[in-house]
Amino acid sequence: MKTYYKILVFVILSGVCIAGFMVPIDFIPGLGERARNLFFHVPMSWVAAVAFLMSMVFSIRYLMTKNMDFDIKAHCAAEIGLLFCVLGYVTGTIWARVDWGTFLKIDEPRMMSILLLMLIYAAYLILRSSIDEEEKKARLSAVYLIIAFLTVPFFIFIMPRVFPGLHPGSADDAQSPGGGPVVKNEMNSTMRIVFYTASIGFVMLFVWIYNIRVRIEKLTIKKLRRIAI
Amino acid sequence: MFKSSVEIFRKDFKSELRTRYAFNSLLMFVIVTIAIIKFSLGDEKTDNEILSGLFWIVVFFSASSGLSRVFIKEEEKETSVALKLSTSHPEVLAGKLIFNFALSFLINVVIFVFFIGATGIVIKNYSGFAITFFLGNLGLVSVSTIIAAIISKANSKGTLYPVLAFPVLLPLLLSLIEAGKLSAGGVETDRLLSEFLFLFSYTVVVTITSFILFKFIWED
Amino acid sequence: MDSIVKFLLDNSRVLVMLVVLIIWIGIFGYLWKLDKKVQKLEEPD
Repeated sequence: MKTYYKILVFVILSGVCIAGFMVPIDFIPGLGERARNLFFHVPMSWVAAVAFLMSMVFSIRYLMTKNMDFDIKAHCAAEIGLLFCVLGYVTGTIWARVDWGTFLKIDEPRMMSILLLMLIYAAYLILRSSIDEEEKKARLSAVYLIIAFLTVPFFIFIMPRVFPGLHPGSADDAQSPGGGPVVKNEMNSTMRIVFYTASIGFVMLFVWIYNIRVRIEKLTIKKLRRIAI
Repeated sequence: MFKSSVEIFRKDFKSELRTRYAFNSLLMFVIVTIAIIKFSLGDEKTDNEILSGLFWIVVFFSASSGLSRVFIKEEEKETSVALKLSTSHPEVLAGKLIFNFALSFLINVVIFVFFIGATGIVIKNYSGFAITFFLGNLGLVSVSTIIAAIISKANSKGTLYPVLAFPVLLPLLLSLIEAGKLSAGGVETDRLLSEFLFLFSYTVVVTITSFILFKFIWED
Repeated sequence: MDSIVKFLLDNSRVLVMLVVLIIWIGIFGYLWKLDKKVQKLEEPD
């Protein structure tokens, strides 16, 4: 990673931290200042979904090529994705405690979908830790991830829009009837700028952490090989 | 292809008849679970909705202790090499799917009978519940067979199964619980059609993917 | 005393912002150091 990239990440996310709390926001009825959670919670959840997609694609490529590099990439993306998934879930669940009065609302589709994502990530990492041989570990966990992924698009993209829920964009959302995109109607232009900047910033942060993680993993494998020789 | 799958099913069925290990232990498991449910409910009158949810919980956990055995058995007795030599991989998977389906159907009928006896659940729409039951069995078997194949190659076999199977089964369970609740409540079968469609398509998708990916698990 | 409490209550947003900013700077510093360390380990070959 180039130095300017890191500095750019720092500047963007610091800016998001400051602007996210300081810019005047349109008061969405019933939310008030709590709507600022949007700048952090939504990008984090999105990064988790993107990371999941990445590790899925790398798993397929691993099974096609049997190149260990893809396996390293797949499980590093899954680990960092789990981190962001937990962050997105925690920011959401605290918010839900305040606004909906409960930490876990089970008939809320988006909450179910992020819970499912978290469970799949965790099960995937547990499966990896229970196999010793490198090659077998890569093969089996890739197969598991692909099977587990079958329902994820349905859970992330379709279910929250089709079923009634409390998140914006649900089927019974009065402000965007027909289950439109989440960001369409509820933000003014300043909020939108901060929101998109935050999304870019979090994705860049993810790429950086992921890069460090892959390099550490490669160093570990190299060292293990040297010891074995 | 079909012939050798049936042959594998018959082999498993015979070895099961000889020891009756899987069936007996599952039977005990079911009796214990339903007894615990009965104890915790006491004599209270419980909602049909909660009861039909509890029913699928019993089904899920009995599947997790019973259906995961098919591939572990081969690994433990080291007969998987012989299987690998004598047949190709889709045939093995098909044979195991048939065996698991037979076992799961049998044990779920037992669960159903015991459950009605113990809790006195009233099902108003029997045909709807029967279709849900059948499709649920198919889905459960398709998922648990491929997960069983994965864990048979891992180290900690017993505890791993529920952890791996739950996220994959969750969509299925949600739909099953919903359909079970509705049919127990007496909703007509036409209105359950969307749930049936989801259950069926999920099963088909998982089965096709298992057939594609099984060769990566089976090769060693 | 009352004026301090009032000041903090009115500006709670700023306080939260400062705490978040400090946490973020801490995370950034940690990542920066980790990156440097990994770079050093990668160099010999």
